[in-house]
Amino acid sequence: MEITLLIQALVSGLLASGLYALVAVGLALAIGVIGIVNFAHGEFFMIGAFLTYQLAVSFGLDPVVSLLLVAPALFVIGALLYRTTVHYVLGAPELNQMLLTFGLGIILQNVALLVWGGDPRTVPAIPYRSASFQLGDVTFGAVLVGSFLVSIALVGGLYWLLLRTPTGRGMRAVAQNRIGASLVGLEVDRTYLLTFALSAALAGIGGVMIAVIQSPTPMVGLTYTLKAFAIVVLAGLGNIRGILWASLLVALSESLVANLVPNGGSLRNAVFFAIIFIVLVVRGRKGGAA
Amino acid sequence: MKRTLITTLAALLCAALAQPVQIGILSPLTGAAAGTGQAQLAGFELALEEINEAGGVLGEPLELIVEDTQATPAVAQAAFEKLMTEDGVGIIAGGYSSNVTLSLVESFRTFQPIVTWIGGASSGIGIDGFDGIEELIGEEEWFFHIHPWDYHNVTAATDYVASTEAETVALLHEDSAFGGPGAAAAAGLLEDAGLDVVLRESFTSTLLGGSGDFRAAITKARATDADMLYWIGYDSDVVPLTSQVRELGYTPEYIFGAPPGWPAEFASSPEAQCVTGLIGFLPNLPNPEAQEFTRAYRAMHNADPENYMAALAYANLWALADAINAAGTTDRDEVIAALEAGTFRSPMGDWSFTDSEITSHQGFGAEMWLVFQYQNGVREIVYPIEKATAPLQTCN
Repeated sequence: MEITLLIQALVSGLLASGLYALVAVGLALAIGVIGIVNFAHGEFFMIGAFLTYQLAVSFGLDPVVSLLLVAPALFVIGALLYRTTVHYVLGAPELNQMLLTFGLGIILQNVALLVWGGDPRTVPAIPYRSASFQLGDVTFGAVLVGSFLVSIALVGGLYWLLLRTPTGRGMRAVAQNRIGASLVGLEVDRTYLLTFALSAALAGIGGVMIAVIQSPTPMVGLTYTLKAFAIVVLAGLGNIRGILWASLLVALSESLVANLVPNGGSLRNAVFFAIIFIVLVVRGRKGGAA
Repeated sequence: MKRTLITTLAALLCAALAQPVQIGILSPLTGAAAGTGQAQLAGFELALEEINEAGGVLGEPLELIVEDTQATPAVAQAAFEKLMTEDGVGIIAGGYSSNVTLSLVESFRTFQPIVTWIGGASSGIGIDGFDGIEELIGEEEWFFHIHPWDYHNVTAATDYVASTEAETVALLHEDSAFGGPGAAAAAGLLEDAGLDVVLRESFTSTLLGGSGDFRAAITKARATDADMLYWIGYDSDVVPLTSQVRELGYTPEYIFGAPPGWPAEFASSPEAQCVTGLIGFLPNLPNPEAQEFTRAYRAMHNADPENYMAALAYANLWALADAINAAGTTDRDEVIAALEAGTFRSPMGDWSFTDSEITSHQGFGAEMWLVFQYQNGVREIVYPIEKATAPLQTCN
């Protein structure tokens, strides 16, 4: 029984890491390329969840189909917000940038509150929400497996985009040296816009998944913003490759504590705060020594 | 000339004295509990319109000063102090969340307005090392608690559980001031009723920063093979919890949840089938007060009063208006006396304040609660039997 519980905990942690990675990678992209800490990242996620809900209620669209509409919608919303707000604070002190995105997040929460109300909503009648399959005594939730595969595919796709395409190389060049990139003819502002929009689209896809897994509320993004920050800090700011490992570490730690410790479900948040604490202290000591 | 002057002065004096009565409202209109706060506001708004159409309070239109607590102690604290110092109100109504209420108790005691509180269930009685709202408030004359205490909730739930054929219970609960004391009380009462609580496991609610992954707790419950899964959490926990119970193949005979509200559209979700829960009010209650309230609520808000906090807020404001009118003054002691003596209207029927375990002004108790069950997309009342609209079904 204990071995089964341990394996189940490892499987749950592994599968949960996919969604964590998807949300975190968008945040890491904005930090790494644009250099802006986007506190509204979770709200893109929340809007993706509510759009999925609305498409299901109004048109009966399955969330899998919604994915094809929500991702472009969030891309456009991200681009618009970049052009109308973020664009104007790129040269401002970091604190001002953070205040702007924090304010954007609050505005988006309240827009959602006005449009959809404060009650948790339910995407009705998803036939596969509770589906699962067994491998021995270990249960694999269909939604968890699906979200894990989609997340890994998207993170892999993003990695490919950054490494193998001219657009991605442009992003990396701008991230490394904004002035140098502009001197060799790269349109820095356009690259920023594309990056911010892509980051929003990735969060939106995460939102589609969360609309399936739980109930969208105007505040649903906050939890995942915190997780994403924890993972980005673990991976190192802007280190997209490290996101996968950091997501796996956070998700596995949470799952193991929740499953193997009595009342461990209450300790999930303590786990990831403890991880951040340890990493920051260790990094700080190394930095101090250097 | 002299008579004209005296008449004018008298008129001005009357106008100055006839200030409208103002009541301060504290409610989580934004933030994680905004759904409940908005439901409260909708109930207050309906009562306010009816009160003012009926002549207002002391001959003047009643006024509300509404402040958003965001369900956050620090924000609630600032909102309450603003109502006391800036607005100068003498009566506070509304309220939600045990955490927020606990943080306000000492501020209430400092300013001592009349407080008629419709949220905050955490009593603390019977839990060593934890002082709940009821224990901290004590017998203060200015505090009127309208919502049932957690032991009322648990008594109602336990009565229902004992009426089923369940013998073993797996108890899952969220870990804040709502679910922790609630689970302690539930475990005790369930054991007293002869049931065997084979697991007591906590989780972090999605309302309070949890990720909505309850698989660990459910896996432990599944291992017990208990007849009933009994959980205490918030409405945002309903969908992940019920779907993960199915996903992990746990098939208890009964699933009973005790959140303050239930998510919109959940009834049409397959995971809802056979889930039972407590609720203080349902639009399909057959009593005439409920039907009239539902009709008026629909007319004003173009929606059904799904969250029972709307009905409690409605009852709260009408009680204050009736008490002030009965007292004929806003004098604090006389309004308190009128609240103590009065019988008030509500969508659930007439009610008045009585003693609870500690406090001397308790509105509703265990009798308010109904147990409903999701049956084929409809919330049917299944307990108490005399109010049942359908028989209870098991999940297998």
